Amino acid sequence: MNGHVNSWLGAYRDGELHGRRLQQVKAHLAHCAACRAELEQLRALGTLLQASPAAEGFTPPERFVAQVGLRLARRPERPAWQRTLGIGWRLAPLGLLGTWAFVQAVFAMSGAVLLALELGLGGSLAARWLPATPPALGLADVLSLTEISLNDGLRIVWQLLAQGGPLGWVATWNVGFLVVIGLAYWAWLASWWARRQHRQAQVALNLAKVRKPSQGSQ
Amino acid sequence: MNSRPTPPAEDELDLIAQAQQGDKHAFGELVRRHREGVVNVVYRLCGDTHLAEDAAQEAFIRAWQHLPSYRPRAPFRHWVVRIATHSALDVLRRQRETEDVDEVMLASPDDGPEDTVEGEERGERVRQAVLALPAASRAVLVLREYEGLSYREIADTLDIPVGTVMSRLNYARSRLRETLAPYLEVL
Repeated sequence: MNGHVNSWLGAYRDGELHGRRLQQVKAHLAHCAACRAELEQLRALGTLLQASPAAEGFTPPERFVAQVGLRLARRPERPAWQRTLGIGWRLAPLGLLGTWAFVQAVFAMSGAVLLALELGLGGSLAARWLPATPPALGLADVLSLTEISLNDGLRIVWQLLAQGGPLGWVATWNVGFLVVIGLAYWAWLASWWARRQHRQAQVALNLAKVRKPSQGSQ
Repeated sequence: MNSRPTPPAEDELDLIAQAQQGDKHAFGELVRRHREGVVNVVYRLCGDTHLAEDAAQEAFIRAWQHLPSYRPRAPFRHWVVRIATHSALDVLRRQRETEDVDEVMLASPDDGPEDTVEGEERGERVRQAVLALPAASRAVLVLREYEGLSYREIADTLDIPVGTVMSRLNYARSRLRETLAPYLEVL
């Protein structure tokens, strides 16, 4: 230790010293010509480095930006499986709509075939395909039964269930599918909205974090 | 050049927010704004224009890929410079396997500045002297002298302690003062 402050001169020149250390270096420089000379050398070195020109012949800015843009397009920012999942997620409503349309088409077709068979348009096929069951008990029939015993009531409920409800199997399934598809769509919509809100809140939070200190420093 | 970095401007924050949502045009504007600074820093590190541009492009690509996780506590440019510095140091490490970067041939300081064409020649000598520094010290010096980062920011950029920043900087300056002594005398 020679008492000089050589090792702190660089930090002093860079404005990185504070408190007691700064006072110590300042006090030393006030009476040490050698350290003052070294500080001047450091300042001269800084000037020399700054004066060294940057290289020339770089790609023009527009071309550089375009090159980066091209590479952005070629390189996925997310893994392939995540992108596939993302696309699937965005197409979910279309999938639900397609499912609903398909189910409706199936029910419409089967309804048309059954109607044709019942009208006798199917010939011998009607006898083979249509079950020989008593006519279905409709909702109106049930409502018209005002005086029934408990056993009769249970029997009627059982019969209704066996027939697929008061509206019949076709209508029950149809309503059931509609409810399931509707619920799935609303779940998707709620999830999409929640994700969007979360993303916007994140961005707002980040901006607020930076704007606060920058406003304070002005 | 040596001035302290300022926080991102309001419109830059908006650009960052848009780019974070996937807007490539907004990101392109960020690239346009910071291209020169980032390329120059990398150029000072590796001394090769093509390498500098490649590393800078790579840095912007990585920045795009990691943009959703970027929190603008530090200026965007410092963040990209950090990525670019790591890219450049990776390149230099690979390069050192085939040639010793620290063995860059320097013109003899004994030639004296009076024998050379002032300006261009001196700039070239300075550039060569910087390139002759060990990569670790060179990175610290470039980030301090050309990018104007504070010791803390350099430490964060290179993942080293502040004390190491100071010692590497002292070492780099000490070597440069020896190598460039003739030029320092005439200043």
